Amino acid sequence: MTARTNTRTGIARYQQVYTVLSQALATGNIAAGEALPSEPTLVRQYGVSRTTVRRALARLAAEGSIVRRRGSGTFAKSGLEKSGATRKVTRLLDDLRRVGSNTRSKLLAFERVSTPDFLLREWPEFGERALLIRRLRSIGDDPVVLATIYVPEDLAPLLSPRRLGVDTVLVALDKLGHRAVTADQQTNAVAADPFSAQHLQCPVGAALLNVRQLARDAKGHILDFTNFVYRPDCYELHVQIERGNGRRARVPR
Amino acid sequence: MAPKSSPARKARSRPRPSPRRRQKTGVARYYQLYSLLSNALNDGTIAPGTALPSEPELSNRHRLSRTTVRRALERLENENRIVRLRGSGTFARQAPAASKLCLNLHSYYKDLPSIAAQTSVSVLRFEPEVLPAGVRELQSRLGERAFVIQRLRKFHGTPYQLSTAYVPESVGRQMRRNSLGSTSIITVLDRIGPKTVSSDHTMSAVAADDIASRALGVALGAPLLRMRAVFSDSKGRIRAVYESLSRPDQLNVRAELERVRVRSAPRPWRLRPHETGSAKR
Repeated sequence: MTARTNTRTGIARYQQVYTVLSQALATGNIAAGEALPSEPTLVRQYGVSRTTVRRALARLAAEGSIVRRRGSGTFAKSGLEKSGATRKVTRLLDDLRRVGSNTRSKLLAFERVSTPDFLLREWPEFGERALLIRRLRSIGDDPVVLATIYVPEDLAPLLSPRRLGVDTVLVALDKLGHRAVTADQQTNAVAADPFSAQHLQCPVGAALLNVRQLARDAKGHILDFTNFVYRPDCYELHVQIERGNGRRARVPR
Repeated sequence: MAPKSSPARKARSRPRPSPRRRQKTGVARYYQLYSLLSNALNDGTIAPGTALPSEPELSNRHRLSRTTVRRALERLENENRIVRLRGSGTFARQAPAASKLCLNLHSYYKDLPSIAAQTSVSVLRFEPEVLPAGVRELQSRLGERAFVIQRLRKFHGTPYQLSTAYVPESVGRQMRRNSLGSTSIITVLDRIGPKTVSSDHTMSAVAADDIASRALGVALGAPLLRMRAVFSDSKGRIRAVYESLSRPDQLNVRAELERVRVRSAPRPWRLRPHETGSAKR
């Protein structure tokens, strides 16, 4: 039985092996200085040819993630693991600024658009027009999250690129007297498309963490919808769940 | 509305990266277009029933050959996500209702039994073992050895989740392999007691490794949602350390959040408390 490294996936087999190995190196599953499995072992493990394994290893070596020592094997280089400085565990709806002082934000788009159909279908009250904001947040030199935000037309005049500064849209709106009190989140994994791959500096097809979130104020008015795409080696979502004590929920929507 | 020198203005004139630019990436060109369209269909940017851009449009916009564009569309068609109508164009299909399981974090403990009831399980491993270093680092209080319970969960015959639970050896010894069935690990642990009262979850995305890709029937390197959790009893003792890898096309994880009503600013967010007594919706 072999793993499905099928060429029909549109991703070359060596690329698939490369993705899995570079993940093992980045997460420390293969620790710094530790030997990688031998070529024949990798061939068996992934059900691919020796050439494919070599090509994946050549790419890791070219990137400087591994060192190949003739006669003794292939070893993980040190300093790959993102610990401390970059790797952050964040709570459900934290402002990224709170997890690191050296976060930067780059505005990629700030424009009025027609509200996309997917928002109108789910939340018709969003309105026909919206403000689209797209930004990239980095911690140090590492891009962490690409956010695509839609703000309903009535709130749009309050915001400007200057007013936004490094604040998140929800923080900026909060300062303007529009406080988010409820949010609905959906979390999943997605493959990086060429657009997110370019900004988050990862290969097309890499696994990214996706959070889609709708926030409302106390009166139930929509404040924004945000689609976040996170690089999983820089960000994890954390949630603590207490078992219910029979408390009544407020009326669901 | 943006001032002339704003970065947004500059950004707008910059073309979106076209798939063509990345050539020696080990990713086929058609796959790059496929991934763009696939994400747009998944998140509803291209709504069910609406038309996709025409082949010539896609070919111009992304500077790809017609053959490449066709290949991307063919794959979406094979996956039953678009329908091509001769003479009128290509349209996004309605996603079949209830094709996806939904896990609500705000009603987690209530939802688990009902998810377990809707799904089937095979037990892949059930044995005591020395804890892998990664898990021991995550949870040193579990000790050197633990019972490992690895299960594969299916929904309508499609595998969607590979889970691995590590429970203290003394607790594991009180379990029976054949009593695990499709029951959630929390229910199994509750039967032995003491009751699990809280859990800490961390969600991330990972590329499927050889084991996960075989079990879940996805390509090596395909994105999976990883949930790690530590379950504790009322005295803070560890009941289990758990990790699941789920197929994003089969499972949705939702959370309703609200701000805690306290005077201190900034007011923290928490999961919205839900009714637990009855199963009434």
